[in-house]
Amino acid sequence: MNIIEIKNLKKDYPLGKTIVPALRGVDLEVAEGEFMSIIGPSGSGKTTLLNVIGCIDQATAGSVKIAGSEITALDDRAVTDIRLHKIGFIFQTFNLIPVLDVLENIEFPLLLMKRPAAEARKRAEKLAAEVGLSEYVRHRPAELSGGQRQRVAIARALVTGPDIVLADEPTANLDSVTGASILELMREMNEVEKTTFVFSTHDAAVLKYARRIVRIKDGLIEKEPVAA
Amino acid sequence: MKLLLTIAWRNILRHKGKSLVIGAILFTGAFLMTLGNGVVSGMARGIEKNVINGFMGDIVVISAKQKSDNVLLNMMGTSIEPVTDYKLIKPALAASPLVERWLPAGKNMAMLLDENSDAPGFAYLLGVDFAEYRKMFPGNFEVIEGSYPAPGERALLIPSFARDEFYNYYNIWYLPEGGRLVKANLKKEALERLDTLVLSSSVVMMGMSGGMNTTSDIRFPVRGIVRYGALNQIFGHFCLVDIESYRECLGYFTAADMSAQVTKEEKALLSLEGGGLDSLFGGDELEAAAPAAPRRLTERSRAADPADGVYNAVFIKLKPGVPYKKAVKELNAALKAAGADARAVTWNKAAGPMGSMTLIIRSALFIFVLLLFSVAVIIIVNTLTMAAMERASEIGMMRAVGAQKPFIGGMFLGETAILSAVFGGAGILAGVLAVELIPLLKISTTNDMLQLLYGGDIFRPMLDLYGVALAVFQLGVVTVLAALYPMKVAAGITPLEAIARD
Ligand SMILES: Nc1ncnc2c1ncn2[C@@H]1O[C@H](COP(=O)(O)OP(=O)(O)O)[C@@H](O)[C@H]1O
Ligand SMILES: [Mg+2]
Repeated sequence: MNIIEIKNLKKDYPLGKTIVPALRGVDLEVAEGEFMSIIGPSGSGKTTLLNVIGCIDQATAGSVKIAGSEITALDDRAVTDIRLHKIGFIFQTFNLIPVLDVLENIEFPLLLMKRPAAEARKRAEKLAAEVGLSEYVRHRPAELSGGQRQRVAIARALVTGPDIVLADEPTANLDSVTGASILELMREMNEVEKTTFVFSTHDAAVLKYARRIVRIKDGLIEKEPVAA
Repeated sequence: MKLLLTIAWRNILRHKGKSLVIGAILFTGAFLMTLGNGVVSGMARGIEKNVINGFMGDIVVISAKQKSDNVLLNMMGTSIEPVTDYKLIKPALAASPLVERWLPAGKNMAMLLDENSDAPGFAYLLGVDFAEYRKMFPGNFEVIEGSYPAPGERALLIPSFARDEFYNYYNIWYLPEGGRLVKANLKKEALERLDTLVLSSSVVMMGMSGGMNTTSDIRFPVRGIVRYGALNQIFGHFCLVDIESYRECLGYFTAADMSAQVTKEEKALLSLEGGGLDSLFGGDELEAAAPAAPRRLTERSRAADPADGVYNAVFIKLKPGVPYKKAVKELNAALKAAGADARAVTWNKAAGPMGSMTLIIRSALFIFVLLLFSVAVIIIVNTLTMAAMERASEIGMMRAVGAQKPFIGGMFLGETAILSAVFGGAGILAGVLAVELIPLLKISTTNDMLQLLYGGDIFRPMLDLYGVALAVFQLGVVTVLAALYPMKVAAGITPLEAIARD
């Protein structure tokens, strides 16, 4: 079953009086449990595509189905709900809540879902252990390294048991060794939790971790398949 | 909820500088607001107490013909309708279980006639039975020169305030008969020109009563100079005269008239006997206004019952705790039943501008608080909005991982509410403390302007539960108002803000 189905997706950005077409008719299907990479040069539309899939940005035209339901015509509340329940995000900038410690950051989405505090805490502890941060659970983000913060982000993205985890260039701000370990971890989590992962990169060295690679250029997906 | 408050609380701690700025504003605002409420309440209470206990009682009975309720302090001096059936009113009051005591009185303006000035001045007269007056308002003033008139004596008591005013107008310094100049009581300007100071122990006044009555000019012997313990500036406008002289001055039927059945015409003739003063008025315009000559007051009416004559008002003190609404209603019913052509009004209505003065000062305070609030709200709104924009990426991330708009808004409201509760709460407590402590300092004043603010001679701000509740409510309004715009800005931050763009 396809967890993501995209048909003829278009996204234009207004720029002054002109229009910048960031996506120009993307068709893409992602099967459940995939570990997929979107690669393309800077400005090719990777971020835009992930944003639309992640319900962070709205499509100009076309259809996007997440787990079978169309998301392009939903209001803010519904779309936020989908983000909370179905999608996990890992940001390039390790975006965490500075005033919360590691455990609190990981359990944050669960508390938004109004899960009981004890249950949320237990699940957060489990994920903290899985991403190798058991010793740091009481640290605040400012006290962690970039790699450690990205591990927190991975744990947070997975804590709700989402359908898809989206990661926009998750290793771009990390050195290559740390970046590699993060990708290893993501692949491990993909195997353990059976969660679909879609991550973008402009770095060909990262591609060896992907099980499926989609190339994007000038807002269009290039012909598949390019086996890894 | 817990999550929200946790984040709000930690953000407060994280941004200590900003929190302290907002906190300081909230503290100051809440403190001033509470203190202001206390001062105004104290003032209102003080004025009320002084007016009721020292000047006019709780309720005033006036003529049913009287158009406006405002009879006491309408400074323009419209004359007051006479109350002619006190004989009917008296038993009604005596029978009322709500009434503690009462005092019938005449109240109107009189023209001060003086040979040395071009235009006549004015004085407010309160005609009373001196013995009854003292029982009604014990200790409300102090006789600083001369003496308190004996019962039934024909006399005039001038408040020091009115004496100063007369001096300003006529350059005459009034002294009690046989009294000596007391330099300590003299106005500074008068003291400087002591050698040319004109002294006098009697005042010639002509009643000013609208319409039908023929008024007479009466020479009043000054018996004493009095000073009100509180609010001399207001109460001190009124010269106290014995009721019979008052009636003669206003051309009302005196008790003597009633008993002797002297006709008005005869009386007018009588009053001419003293004669000779016409020559004092050089101006033609005054001659028309003063047809009758003043004369020495005689003792002829002593035997009569003053209650038989005409009054303008009956001041009533109620038994403690009787609600005004009930009192007015029941008294009016009793007056009607007695067939008296009179109605009862509350002191604050009868006192006109005086009664509404507390309202005016309250409004002034309200505007002050409003300004204070506006400044506070603007600063807080600015600070919080900036905070929201600085945290755009963090807030965008929260939105991206699934926080709804109200959650983000709630975070900001939570921050403001916590700051408000802590600092604003402390401000209110400090205000309450100040209000409780100030009376212990026993700040008192003889300054007339300050007395108005104090509502009496002692500065005694006062807060009841209502005042504290009001402060809390006001603080709540500020909090919500201050948080509203930043909440909107924060909730408007899109999840896209979480994404770093190349
Ligand atoms: N907010 C925006 N306004 C205007 N143009 C934008 C905006 N965001 C992205 N673009 C343009 O859309 C194209 C795709 O951008 P993006 O999705 O960020 O590419 P990538 O992530 O692959 O670098 C680029 O040409 C970029 O300049
Ligand atoms: Mg990008």
